[in-house]
Parts: sequence; C-alpha cells; structure tokens
Amino acid sequence: MKKAQEIVLGVVTSIGGFLEIGSLSTAVQAGAAFRFQLVWAVLLGTLCLIFLVEMAGRFAAVSKHTVTDALRERFGFNFFSFVFLGVTLVDLLVLGAEIGGVSLALQLLTGIALRWWALPVGFAVWLLLWKGSFGMIEKGASLLGLVTLCLVVGAVLLHPPWRQVAAGALPSLPQGESAHYWFLAVSILGASISPYLFFFYSAGAIEDRWDESYLGTNRAVSGLGMSFGALIALSALVLAAGVFGPRGITQLDSYDQIALLLTPVLGRWGFWLFAASLGIACFGAALEIALEIAYRAAQGFGWNWGEDLKPAEDSGFASVYTLALVVGVLLVVVGLDPLKLTVFSMALTAATLPLSVVPFLVLMNDERYMGEHRNGRLSNAVVLFIVALSFVLAVVSIPLELLGGS
Amino acid sequence: MAKGTEVRVELLLGRRVRDRQGRPVGRIEEVRAEPKGKEVRVTEYLVGRSAMLERLSVQAFLLTFPRLLGWGKKSGGYRVPWDQLDLADPDRPRLLCDVGELEGLEEG
Amino acid sequence: MDLIRDVLDKQLVDPEERRMGKVDGLILELEEGQPPRLVEIEQGAATLARRLHPRLARWVEALGARIYGEAPGGPARIPWSKVRDVGIDVEVDQDFEKSRLYFWQEWLCEKLIRRIPGAG
Repeated sequence: MKKAQEIVLGVVTSIGGFLEIGSLSTAVQAGAAFRFQLVWAVLLGTLCLIFLVEMAGRFAAVSKHTVTDALRERFGFNFFSFVFLGVTLVDLLVLGAEIGGVSLALQLLTGIALRWWALPVGFAVWLLLWKGSFGMIEKGASLLGLVTLCLVVGAVLLHPPWRQVAAGALPSLPQGESAHYWFLAVSILGASISPYLFFFYSAGAIEDRWDESYLGTNRAVSGLGMSFGALIALSALVLAAGVFGPRGITQLDSYDQIALLLTPVLGRWGFWLFAASLGIACFGAALEIALEIAYRAAQGFGWNWGEDLKPAEDSGFASVYTLALVVGVLLVVVGLDPLKLTVFSMALTAATLPLSVVPFLVLMNDERYMGEHRNGRLSNAVVLFIVALSFVLAVVSIPLELLGGS
Repeated sequence: MAKGTEVRVELLLGRRVRDRQGRPVGRIEEVRAEPKGKEVRVTEYLVGRSAMLERLSVQAFLLTFPRLLGWGKKSGGYRVPWDQLDLADPDRPRLLCDVGELEGLEEG
Repeated sequence: MDLIRDVLDKQLVDPEERRMGKVDGLILELEEGQPPRLVEIEQGAATLARRLHPRLARWVEALGARIYGEAPGGPARIPWSKVRDVGIDVEVDQDFEKSRLYFWQEWLCEKLIRRIPGAG
C-alpha cells in the first residue's frame, strides 16, 4: 500500500514539476509558428526523457550512488571536471531563464518590470533552500505546480481539430522557414530532455533512500509522471496554435501576447491562471536547478551533501547553491530577455546532451554498478538515437538561426 | 621524511611508456598492487597498446564509447612487472626490458 | 587491487561513515630494489588541479596560501596504514574532524555561512 502511495505522490510531483519556462515557451512558440506540426518533437523528447529518468532512478536504487558520484569514480576527475563545467554552464543559463520566468509572471500580475523582481525572486528561492528540507521542497513546489493543469483544461475547452493534432505526431517538413522550424524542434528536444531533470531525480532517489524494491515504483513514476507532464506541454502548444494561429501571429515578441494564451477560453481567469502557472512552475524549476548544481559539486568533490542538513553542516553545498542563484539573478538583472535566454539555453542543452547522456549510458551498462539491472539493447538504442538526433539537429540549426535572426 | 622519490599514481595514468629505443609502447592504464604484510606494494603496470583508455581525456573517451557500451573488444596491451618500468622520470616512464618479453593483456 | 579503478577518485569515509572528500591522489614511494610502496592518500584542490595542469596547481596553492594560510595539521595526506577497507567507499581510521575537508568546510562556515542568520 505504501508503494502505491509513493507512486501516486511521485507521479503527481512529476506532473507538477514538469512544466517550466523552457517547455512552456518552446511549445507556445512552436504552436504559434507551425500549428501542430511540432507535436512529434514534444513526444520524442518526452519518450527520451522517460527512458532517462527511469534509468536515473534505477541507477540510484541499485548502485546506491548518484550519477554524479559514479561519473567521477568511473571516469576519473579529469573527465568529470570537463562534464561538470559544460553541464553547469548551461544549467546556470537555464537557472537565469527560470528566475526570469518567475519575474515575468510577477510583471504580468503587477506591472512592475521583471528586472526588479529578479532579486526578490532569487532571494525567495534561496531562503527556501536555506531553511527548507528536501521533502518539503520537492513535494511542496510540485504540488503547487499542479496549477499548470489549467493549460490542459484550456486546450480541451478550445475544441482543437484533434485529428490535425494527432497528425502532428508524425514528423513533417515545414512549408517554409525551415531553419526556424528545426531550431524550434531542437529547442523543444532540449527543453524536454533537460539533464538537470534526471540528475535531480537520481539525487532525489538517494535522498528518499530508494533500493531495489523500488524499481517498479520507479518505472511507474517515470512513465506516468513524465507522460502526463508532457500533456501539459502539448496543451500549451495546442493552445498557442488555436489562439495565435488564426490571428496570424507567428512570432511571439512580447510577453503580453503570451499572457493571452488562456484568455480566449477562460476569460479574465485565464490571465491570472496563466501568470500563476508560469510563476509557480518556474519557481519550482529554479529550486531544482540550484539544488542540482550544488549536488553535482558536492558529489563530485565528496563533500557532505543533503538538503536535510543545516547549512552549517554542509557549507560547501550551501555556498554553491547560493553562488548559483547569484549568477542566475544577475543574468536577469543585467537585462537579458528571459524568452530569448530560454529558447537559446534550450537549444544549447540539446547540443550538449551527449556530454552528460553518453557517460550516463556507459554507467547504465556497467556491471559493477548495475549488476543484473543493466540496460537492455532497446534502452541504449532509443536514448542514443534521440540524443544523437538532437545533437545533429542542434549543431545544424543553431548557427542557421543565429545567422537568420530569430 | 621520505626515503626515496615520490610518484603520484594519478599522474601516471595515461603517461606514454617508451622502450629502450625510445619507441612508444602504450599508455599506463592501471597500477596493480598487493598487500605484503602491513604494506601495499605495486606488482605490475597495465600498459595499453593503443591510446584507448577507459578513463582519460575527452577525445579518447569519445573514440572508445562504442567499445565501452559493450560492442567490440578491448584492444591488447601488456602487463609490465614493477621492476621492468623505470620511473626515475615519472613523466617519461621507460621500459627496462624488451617488449617481446612482456606478457600480453587478455582480449575482451 | 587496481589502484586507479578501485581506489582513485573513490569516496573517503571515516569510521562513522561520514563523507570526507574523495581520494584525489595516491602517493607511491620508490625504493632501490624494492617494488614501489603505496604510502599515502592525498586530498585537496591543489591535487586535483595538478591532474588538470601543473600550472593550475601552483595557482591554486598560491590562492590557498593567500586565503587561509597554511592548513594547520589538517593533513592533505592520509597514511595508507590508516585505511581500513576498500569497497564502494574507502574507509579510513581518521575522524572527519581531522580531515582537510573538515578544515576547509569549517573555514567557509565561519567566514561566510555563520554570518547569515538561520544557518543552524
């Protein structure tokens, strides 16, 4: 009975924690520019994520190591520091985007420019990490994140042409604007397959003290949680296609435009719900990313770590998330546009996926860590294919997008 | 109060080993040691014939990942007994015997 | 025992299973006519830096000296004789409070963390 409870809780927190500014803004932009043509990108990205998250949980439960711990132990410090640097740099950009997302939501609600909100938001995130416990943060932020389900409600109420939506599940070539199409596809893949998600999931499994008996739970949580979470991103895409498409808006340039995503369907409430969804989802993501950067440093260097410890007991860990938040806040205060920062960091994520995923796959096949629970050929093949695809698309489309202007 | 010279294991990893004529033999992949009474002493060094190492720099890793995923076998190498490797200059280990005298590493 | 695969970069723990950093370096002593002897485990930023580049190590050491002077007794090195077990972690017979990591964390705690309320 307890495991069933855990599954439900796990799935619910996964759904609530799925959406953040990356998946939201890439889905909205895709829907506006290409209607339902990019549904396949969301599906493909989610499929890969499900595999990766399940692996991350399985790895932690069986080997009792986090992925980061094992990365250094298995590959040595030199390789680890290379991965660490690359992944952390991209993480910091994403963190800035999430803080920007919360600030944006607050701007929508109050009219005060988002640059002013960056510091208070960063401080709020920091305070929760400083004083809170892992359970409280993981569960609390994700449960609140369920407000994003309003997007699903909105999409359904919109009565979109479901057959066309389904048709989007198969990849199709765009009529024009190819560079932009593929760039958005890449951004969606990067938004769906964010490494911080599966690193965080494995740290969480260790914090929750999972063992081999949790393998079934793990599969249920990762499969159901991520699938339902993807529904929310898809809803955002469908909404954008329905709301912006008919108006001929293919480029979303101002935030006020995006905020109108739910108003045609839900009226005035739609505006508030959207702002709340954006703010809460991004806040949760900011918490996770800051924590995850700190986990990576602490595990890589062998420090004490654990959100349940008081900062005085793990000063290195606490210092790292503090520093990460400072950088994230700075990125917004300096005036970087959160939406542009988001889409760019998502594309960059896709481009650097091999850096974290390939070593991870090696670990998943290592008998010393995984014993009989090693990866099968299918898991390896699926993940490798999707990651390779993302990488190739990213390398091709990012320069084209930069040259063509966004 | 050190009696002899110090050598760092972590810096030996990946160092190219040359034979007496200065020709490259391979790179140090592993240092094996056994307890002897209260002490632990090195028994042999595993020197990989090619640059393919299980843990090293990025380039080597990217090249070897198909092998690491279980497709393909390890390439051969040598087992060098402790007394056949001259570490007077740890950055440039030299083989003291002939390559032909060395035992090979098992395949796979 | 494979030193690189099984010892290097592994997690160090004290008798109470508290994390003490990782095995950042291993020191062998060469003796005439004898197999090299494993003498010490080394830890620290300088050790790690040296694995990336020797010049980086000098820079890190200089930085460390400037920031908090010599680490008093906090040994960057642990004699191999103190190693109890080599498994998933390397267990050593030394308390966490005597480790280099502890010294560094305490320093950080004093200088930074305790100045902020609620640090506990």
